[in-house]
Amino acid sequence: MPSRPAKIHIPLRSALRMLGGYFRVRFLEQVRSISFILLYLLGFQMLVLGSTPANALQLTVGIGMVVMGLMFFLEGLILGLMPLGEQVGVQLPQKAGVMAIALFGLLLGVGATFAEPAIASLRAAGLSVTPWEAPLLYWMLERAPDQLVMAIGGGVGVAVAFGMLRFYLGLPIKPFVYVLIPLMLAVSVFCALDENLVSILGLAWDAGAVTTGAVTVPLVLALGIGISRATGKQDRATAGFGVVMLASSFPVLSVMGLGILLNHQAPRPVDETVFFSPAYRETALRWVGSETQLRDLAVQRGSEAGRSVLFADRPGEDIAQHPGSSSVGRLSLMSVVRAESGHAVRSVVPLTFLLLLVLMLWLRDHPRHGDEFALGIFFAWLGMGLLTSGIRLGLAPLGDEVGRPLPRVFRSVAREEGRLTFQPFDPSLVFSSLGVDGDVAQFFYLQDSDGQPRPARFDAERFDPVALRYEHILKRPPLFGPELTLAGIGLVLLFAFGLGYGSTLAEPALRALGRTVEELTVGTIRRVGVVRAVSLGVGIGLVIGVSRILYDIPMIWLLIPPYAFLILLTFWSDEDFAAIAWDCGGVTTGSITVPLVLAMGLGIGGELEVVDGFGILAMASAYPIISVLLYGFVKQKRQARSLQPAEGESEHE
Amino acid sequence: MSDSFAAPREVVRITCMVHQRLNPVTVETLRRFGAHTVLTESARCVRQESLPPVFRILGNRMRQQDAPMDIFRTTVEPADATEAVQRLRDTLELDKPGRGSVFVQDIQEYSLLAPPEGRERDHSPEEGILLNDLTLITGIVSQAGGAEALARIALRLGAGVPVLTLGEGTGIRDRLGLLRIAIPPEKELIHLIVPSQDAPGLMRLMIDEGRLDRPGGGFLYQTRLRAAVVDSLVRIGHQEHAASMEQIIAAVDDLKRGTGWRRRFAGMDSVQEGGSKTRRNHREVVFICPEGRSDAFVQAAMNTGAAGATVTKVRCLSFSDVEGGIAARERGVLCIPSSREEGVIEALLREADRDAEYATRIQVLDAPSVFSHQRS
Repeated sequence: MPSRPAKIHIPLRSALRMLGGYFRVRFLEQVRSISFILLYLLGFQMLVLGSTPANALQLTVGIGMVVMGLMFFLEGLILGLMPLGEQVGVQLPQKAGVMAIALFGLLLGVGATFAEPAIASLRAAGLSVTPWEAPLLYWMLERAPDQLVMAIGGGVGVAVAFGMLRFYLGLPIKPFVYVLIPLMLAVSVFCALDENLVSILGLAWDAGAVTTGAVTVPLVLALGIGISRATGKQDRATAGFGVVMLASSFPVLSVMGLGILLNHQAPRPVDETVFFSPAYRETALRWVGSETQLRDLAVQRGSEAGRSVLFADRPGEDIAQHPGSSSVGRLSLMSVVRAESGHAVRSVVPLTFLLLLVLMLWLRDHPRHGDEFALGIFFAWLGMGLLTSGIRLGLAPLGDEVGRPLPRVFRSVAREEGRLTFQPFDPSLVFSSLGVDGDVAQFFYLQDSDGQPRPARFDAERFDPVALRYEHILKRPPLFGPELTLAGIGLVLLFAFGLGYGSTLAEPALRALGRTVEELTVGTIRRVGVVRAVSLGVGIGLVIGVSRILYDIPMIWLLIPPYAFLILLTFWSDEDFAAIAWDCGGVTTGSITVPLVLAMGLGIGGELEVVDGFGILAMASAYPIISVLLYGFVKQKRQARSLQPAEGESEHE
Repeated sequence: MSDSFAAPREVVRITCMVHQRLNPVTVETLRRFGAHTVLTESARCVRQESLPPVFRILGNRMRQQDAPMDIFRTTVEPADATEAVQRLRDTLELDKPGRGSVFVQDIQEYSLLAPPEGRERDHSPEEGILLNDLTLITGIVSQAGGAEALARIALRLGAGVPVLTLGEGTGIRDRLGLLRIAIPPEKELIHLIVPSQDAPGLMRLMIDEGRLDRPGGGFLYQTRLRAAVVDSLVRIGHQEHAASMEQIIAAVDDLKRGTGWRRRFAGMDSVQEGGSKTRRNHREVVFICPEGRSDAFVQAAMNTGAAGATVTKVRCLSFSDVEGGIAARERGVLCIPSSREEGVIEALLREADRDAEYATRIQVLDAPSVFSHQRS
């Protein structure tokens, strides 16, 4: 090796100026990327809901961490992870055979799933799943999460293996779409016909959407680009796309497969009162696990009817002893940062280590710029830790504050907010009032939070004259009064659209993908264009997903039309855009979108007492594919214009 | 093996820059012509698009419109050059504006592989001449979007259709230690074919208007073309006459058998350079190596006096099995004073000997005019 030329010494002042410029550009870029979602959430909260953020300091710190986190994480991807992936990809075909590459892909896919567990967000979406309405779904989420993770991991592993084989052999993506998507739809239809399996449809399709995380996507993308450049089987520069699509399709199949396997031992869905009845107790216990679990379920997820059946034979137990909702603990900055930086180690280090091991031991090479690489990995870890902590401290609570009260916007009926039990309750405090139609209603005065007495309706059925106990139900009035539901629903859908659009604009995996697209096409497809097209798609997808929750549309009816349309679009589109578009669908739901979408979905779903909040994320990955393919048609039509300069040019566009 | 590298061959490099849709036809044409190795990279060309006037008062509005391109490079024996260009022109219909350009340059090549020879000559070229008094201006600029600005200037001057590619710069940056991450290595390259007599003037205008005479501004150099078919479609969209200006220029070029009649910077080539840093007697040195090896080549060149290099990732289409199965290559471009040529070439050849692969080759040609802010 020729010796390296002497290092140039830069005076501290100039060095700081250089770093300052470097920092400023990247910082401002991140500020721009999250400004939309931030202003949107704040605007919605202040203007529509008329409240202010609860904890401004924590919010500010959180947002600051999100900005810094995005900055470091993206820089880490560019300096460390993506060059490593590309280097391994270029060298792999030189040293390894086709089977070894597939095996490596399998390992990488499984490893990626364990490193970036999507199961946490899936369980969050299934927080209100009950074992009586959806026994199978409950079992998979609560009793057999390990099997679920393994099914997802196996799916991703097989997908990445297929993806690497595809690059190695230079196969186009379209046949994969034509085979996989109809297969997924067919299995979904099969599931939709079974009263138990239908409940896991949303889980399966969401699992496909969330598996591909912020570290996995750029790494797999870079690897694929490396392999396809090395083998040169495809004469296109954009041949490295398509793995993410596979990685979000196979898990759908594997999760549905797991469901079908588990289904034969699952009890049928039953009515809540039947579930808690002593006659059903044996089955219920087998399914739920223990008496304590059953009691907790009754309290946390059950309704009053179920509770009264369960506690009817146990006089010692009392509903009042179980608080209806668990208290929301305040997040401490340090504990969040500690937990999240641990997660960040888990999502960055094992995958990097695997690739590094392959590079150094198998391919007998070392990272091209060792110092840059080490710094990149450090940045990726730091960024990931800051980003996820920031989301938990800042963005997610804000999303939550806006998402949860959102149903008030469209609900025309007052809703139970909480219960107060008065014992002893003095019946002499109850007064009567006369309605215009001559009905007599009873009321008593209750002080509100400001200490002002307000009349409250007295419900004789809730009064126990023997124990002198009265249970009062606090009701929250609808925000816009009873008539405005339609406008309210419009507002909710608008909120969903903006939330999807804004959070996707900031999604780091998508921006890494956009950057790669721009680089590989030498700027003929701009990253801004791709990111906007995807964000638009996610916005539309969320609108559809929220409509599913609002109107309780069966999942299958939401899956078939867009995917059937997608198969057609893919047929018309050319290979380049097909691969890019299908990959975009997989990357949309990442570290920023998922917590925000879940907060909204749970808010609305919890309010309407639907079984689960699943399905929204699946919609958020179907529609971006459509929007990117359509964007591709427009783009290509314009780009081919120089080839036919004589045709129809004199007419205006 | 090392002695095979020792003597350069006089060969001809064919560069074909076409719209991405023409990729399969180009590959097929080159394969049938008998080229055994073709390097390709992705590129983008920029054109002006004129939109119809609004309310007939504002005049034509312009916007930039870009299209994906692919660049193909291969080498052939000098005797085959004209036929190769004619074949490409005829099969790709490059004489129609808007499809792409092809040009040939005389170079010296150090390679373990001889250029292909002995193929059937069944082609009877169609009418139409090859232009031969043309120059390629190559610009390497660092700041993101810098080439875009140069392209805009070139379009405004009607200098031709600029083609942009991406590369990575190495040089001073690598000597900064870890502080180098503050300087993005990404470079943009702009390729512009202009009539030789206008080249100095256009280069001058690009330097001035693109502000390349400032620190970190960029780097421009010229290389001569032996023959070319040039895409002249500078403007697309709304057209107000029976023939576009480009069609008229192409027709007159054809009639006059050259571009001499469009001389526009009278006297410019002899004046200029008052205190500027445009220098003569340089060489464009290109090395092509397996991906991952370019760092060593650049180091070797820099140790012997080169200022730095711009490396582009390219793919090698191999029509015969001589080059092994791996397609990923790196193509580095250096511009060095003729006086240092010998040392740099020697160092590069030593580096090439290390792995003595067929994939490695070094190409040298004259760069009569070079402009750079930094010293070389």
